[in-house]
Amino acid sequence: MPLLECRGLTRRFGALVAVDSVDMTVEPGEIRAVIGPNGAGKSTLFNVITGVLAASDGEAFFMDQNITGLPVEQVVQKGISRTFQLTHLFPELTARENVRISAQARQPGRWTMLGGAQVLQESTTQADQALERLHLSRFADVPANMLSHGDQRLLEIAMAVSQAPKLLMLDEPTQGLSIEETDRAVTILRDMLSDGDLTVVLVEHDMEVVFKLAHRITVLHQGRVIADDTPDKVKESNEVQQAYLGGFE
Amino acid sequence: MNWKVGFIVCAVAACVVPFVSPNYMLTVIIEALIFGLFAMSLDLLVGYTRLYSFGHVAAYGLGAYTSALLLLHFNLPLPVTIVLAVAISTAIATPIAWVCTRTHGVSFAMLTLAFAQLGYAMIYRFKDFTGGSDGLTGIPRPEGPFGLDFFQSKIGYFYMVLFCLLGSFLLCRALVNSPFGTVLSGIRENEAKTAALGYNTRAYKRVIVILAYAFGSLAGALYAPFAGFASPELFFWLISGTVLIMVIVGGSGTLIGPIIGGVFFLMLENQLSEVTDLWPLIFGSVFIAFVMLAPQGIWGILTARFKKPAVLPQGGADGETTSAPS
Ligand SMILES: Nc1ncnc2c1ncn2[C@@H]1O[C@H](COP(=O)(O)OP(=O)(O)O)[C@@H](O)[C@H]1O
Ligand SMILES: [Mg+2]
Repeated sequence: MPLLECRGLTRRFGALVAVDSVDMTVEPGEIRAVIGPNGAGKSTLFNVITGVLAASDGEAFFMDQNITGLPVEQVVQKGISRTFQLTHLFPELTARENVRISAQARQPGRWTMLGGAQVLQESTTQADQALERLHLSRFADVPANMLSHGDQRLLEIAMAVSQAPKLLMLDEPTQGLSIEETDRAVTILRDMLSDGDLTVVLVEHDMEVVFKLAHRITVLHQGRVIADDTPDKVKESNEVQQAYLGGFE
Repeated sequence: MNWKVGFIVCAVAACVVPFVSPNYMLTVIIEALIFGLFAMSLDLLVGYTRLYSFGHVAAYGLGAYTSALLLLHFNLPLPVTIVLAVAISTAIATPIAWVCTRTHGVSFAMLTLAFAQLGYAMIYRFKDFTGGSDGLTGIPRPEGPFGLDFFQSKIGYFYMVLFCLLGSFLLCRALVNSPFGTVLSGIRENEAKTAALGYNTRAYKRVIVILAYAFGSLAGALYAPFAGFASPELFFWLISGTVLIMVIVGGSGTLIGPIIGGVFFLMLENQLSEVTDLWPLIFGSVFIAFVMLAPQGIWGILTARFKKPAVLPQGGADGETTSAPS
């Protein structure tokens, strides 16, 4: 049983077809990269799968359940956690509280209005583990808006990871990072993925990063899938080379 | 340590105040405490959830008129009436909250204002029932249950108001520190992200609006029997603005701040309006000064020296590298 299956997923903005009948199947344990030039529809595909945007057509299934049209909070409760291309944090709250609120979202006691020490305690433990995993422990008590851009990107990933998602969707985790920051982030991500407990769909424009991390690559071009293959095969594909005008290197 | 000292000072003051202050002053103090409670209830929305209500007076008016009508028609014991008034007001607030939380930002502010104006209009529309512009007068304070009657005296009423204020404060404090309360802080900081983390943010907002109305209506329900009358002024839109200013001057995002702001302004108004009719000008100037110079409010200023500023841990690009054995 595939973990995620998109069938003919489509999203239009007026006349523009940002995501054009995308078929994609992600198996449990897989690290899937979605690549493509700017404006190819990668973020829109993420938004349609996670319910941030409504699909114009087609369906998305998660563990054989149709999740098309579910509001974002219900999609998360099924076990899909994501990050955004533009960092989305709680700027004035500490790094730990950012992650803790995220972890708490998957707890049945999240509605507790009086007391709730147990819920707070458990989510704090989960938050500290996620911070540790993203090498952010020393920033736990620092407000998120004081962190460097690179650490903010990692913090948002820690928030997603703290939910112990069945599927983790990362939209350009190295966006806007310097070369050193990218190297550090990739090392940390690779470390995180090597534990083998996560299934990941990853949007990434940096080909080096993609080839280091992904098991399989989906290439989008003008909303359509033009390749869906292993990294080696994708590297050799003529069509992909052309879409990127001049190739990868 | 320091807050314990502060607490003891306040407790002692609370015990002594009714006996040392002149009769007239005690009236002002009781009204100030009621307004402090009202301001605190608004901060659940403004400071904790960043929902700007421009119509919070609706909660106050609703509580006041409900308790006044209950007392005039049923003559139940006062504490029972107050509990009932809050329950009824909360029930009425539920559909209001449901409608208002379908909107954001300015629309939310305008809708809350619209509901308050609706309340104001209804007072005039159903004047056989509500007394119209004459208001309701001769509201009794029936004794009981169990022969309780201490609140029939002014000093007794002071303690009842103090009890309600303290109880509400403790409840609200537990609320904002609970798992539910931390979700509110998420909504305040970034609502879209909070939803993307798996929270049904609209449901959380609905509940906090209902609760803010509940505590606000408690303030109103305490006011009418104390004053002995209820007038359409209790629904007047200007009060929504005044209380919003009290919240901000007192220190939004805290519970004590708005209480201080409410008490401070009501006392100040009372003192100044006797000697000068420039009171609104002074009120406005104080507000502007706080917004520009001390946006953290009175409570923020008072507690600033106890707060440690956050510092970013120093080290290499990666903290681990500095401590790694070579
Ligand atoms: N909310 C929107 N409204 C209108 N057009 C949009 C919206 N979001 C994305 N688009 C358009 O859809 C196309 C795909 O965008 P996007 O998914 O962000 O691409 P990518 O993430 O691959 O860079 C772009 O042409 C973009 O301008
Ligand atoms: Mg994008």
